[in-house]
Amino acid sequence: MSDEITEHPPQTRHSQAMTAEPPIYRADLTLTQVNKDITAAIFRRPNAYWFAGMFVASCCLALGAVVVWIQLHVGMGVLGLKRPGMWGTYIVDFVFWVGIAHAGTLISAILFLFRQRWRTAINRSAEAMTIFAVMCAGLFPLLHIGRTLIAYWLIPYPNSRHLWVNFRSPLIWDVFAVSTYTIISLLFWYQGMIPDLATVRDMHPKPFARKVYGIFSQRWKGTARDWHHYEAAYGLFAAIATPLVLSVHSVVSSDFAVSSIPGWHDTIFPPYFVAGAIFSGFAMVITVLTVVRKAFNLEDYLTIDHMELMAKIILATSMIVSYGYIVEVFMAWYSENPVENHIYIWIRFFGPYLWAGWTIVFCNCIAPLIFWFRFARRNMVILFIASIVINIGMWFERYVIIVTSLSQDFIPTNWRYFAPTIYDIGTFIGSLGLFFTMFMLFARFVPVIAISEVKSVLREPVGERAALEESHA
Amino acid sequence: MPSKYRPPAVLALFLDPQKLLDAVKAVKDKGYRGLDAYTPYPVHGLSEALGLKISWMPRVTKTGFFVGAGLGFTLEAWTMAWAWPLNIAGKPFISVPAYMPVTFESGILIAGISTFCAVLIAARLRPAPNFHNIDDSITNDRFGLYVPVRPYESGNVQTLLKELGAEEVRDLA
Repeated sequence: MSDEITEHPPQTRHSQAMTAEPPIYRADLTLTQVNKDITAAIFRRPNAYWFAGMFVASCCLALGAVVVWIQLHVGMGVLGLKRPGMWGTYIVDFVFWVGIAHAGTLISAILFLFRQRWRTAINRSAEAMTIFAVMCAGLFPLLHIGRTLIAYWLIPYPNSRHLWVNFRSPLIWDVFAVSTYTIISLLFWYQGMIPDLATVRDMHPKPFARKVYGIFSQRWKGTARDWHHYEAAYGLFAAIATPLVLSVHSVVSSDFAVSSIPGWHDTIFPPYFVAGAIFSGFAMVITVLTVVRKAFNLEDYLTIDHMELMAKIILATSMIVSYGYIVEVFMAWYSENPVENHIYIWIRFFGPYLWAGWTIVFCNCIAPLIFWFRFARRNMVILFIASIVINIGMWFERYVIIVTSLSQDFIPTNWRYFAPTIYDIGTFIGSLGLFFTMFMLFARFVPVIAISEVKSVLREPVGERAALEESHA
Repeated sequence: MPSKYRPPAVLALFLDPQKLLDAVKAVKDKGYRGLDAYTPYPVHGLSEALGLKISWMPRVTKTGFFVGAGLGFTLEAWTMAWAWPLNIAGKPFISVPAYMPVTFESGILIAGISTFCAVLIAARLRPAPNFHNIDDSITNDRFGLYVPVRPYESGNVQTLLKELGAEEVRDLA
């Protein structure tokens, strides 16, 4: 390794440790250029693609609002919920969105602890995605409880009835896990954003905007002391967010695993849910970033190398998820338990829900195998299509787990085929609208890439003028 | 911003973080104390060069975690076993394994919130619509070195900093 350093003396001046690895960003990027490129989207009028995207997203959101209003007004009967399937697409959507959220924390916390410097390109937008996805996720249980106005009964507080929530129930663990996750992700995201908001504050030509960014950038001065505490806190946030992210989806999976329903009562659920969450979350990161890098001309930052690394993570988590499916089926067959056999093998792959069962096998196990090939990992069209296929697959995975297990329970006279209504579908479209509307606004007003973090991993972290002087010398 | 008393000091702006690090060492060798640096990103080795003590953030997080976890568990045990004991499926009133998720989440919640508040306090952050940084280019591409001086030393320090490669030197008297 020392040979390599002596071979390229001009590149090693600032950061000798980095020369062992290929550069993360183009070697000739300067600090000034980074500022200009990343904040460009904030200073100029957004282009037609942004307005078109915003229009479609807010139409979906409006549709969702109407559907939710009807559901609140008329009642839960408008949904496809009929005995015995009393958990339907709302819970599917909840698990789906919580899963999407996990990639953001994985990128910002776990990849930080593993010192994966390429995460600097994607962490800001992935964390934003986390927050918007958790917001979407949080809506569904609130609507699903039916009496949304008294949702606050889920919180343990002293009341005139002298009643408390049951802390032995996984549904209450969920309340604590998801709300903790929302708050911690929000703080982590905001703390990471303070220096960048200060950058916008110092660059903004309009006095009013300077004031607004001044409020949110909290008097950030960028002194060595500030950075010293900031970096310590960032590491600590990463350290507490790592077990948190693993716990949240484990708790969500306990909603099912702790019950005694065949198809749910399964010890493999926590790790298999967490892997699935990361799998679907990374797919969503690719979907969103494909659009962002094109719309805001950020190809120099969200490089194809970063996309390739994400494709590799998708491939790895796809393998874990496939292993989870195989274990479920194998254990059902090996146990010779007729009820388990019926649910895990018959209903899902040969019975009434075979279309859903084979959809998830194709989308989550077979389609991601294309990422074994390098050309697929480096082709934006293939990446984009695969990421959408994976997200469809992961939505149906939760559909299969939740709906099939309930639809044919212990008493055959109760059996009923679950069919979602237009209200189920409308609410889901509304949540997609909420997610993308929030993301569009985020991309418009906040730097979508962590400026200060990108600066800290540049090969030659100098300003434009210093770079110019050096080239003259 | 309302004008407050500022101790006399010199600010040097560098274009290159390496020059800043060299300058910190050189100025410290000359016997100047209370230095601070302004950088657009956390420069590696700067905390050590300035001789900053290990941050007190970890203690806040650790304390926050144990306080939060303790409060979480106390809430569960008190409500389930004391305030209104209910026999739920014959389980013990204090079901330790079932109480662990909420205990853990409360610990993380308080640890995170207290760490965030600690950063706000340590870096003296608060919403400030009319705030102007010492120089607008600090968040862009300049690396500032702040040297508190006695008024009569200002000239010498400015010359020294220019020799060390400062792009711009300013007297903040």
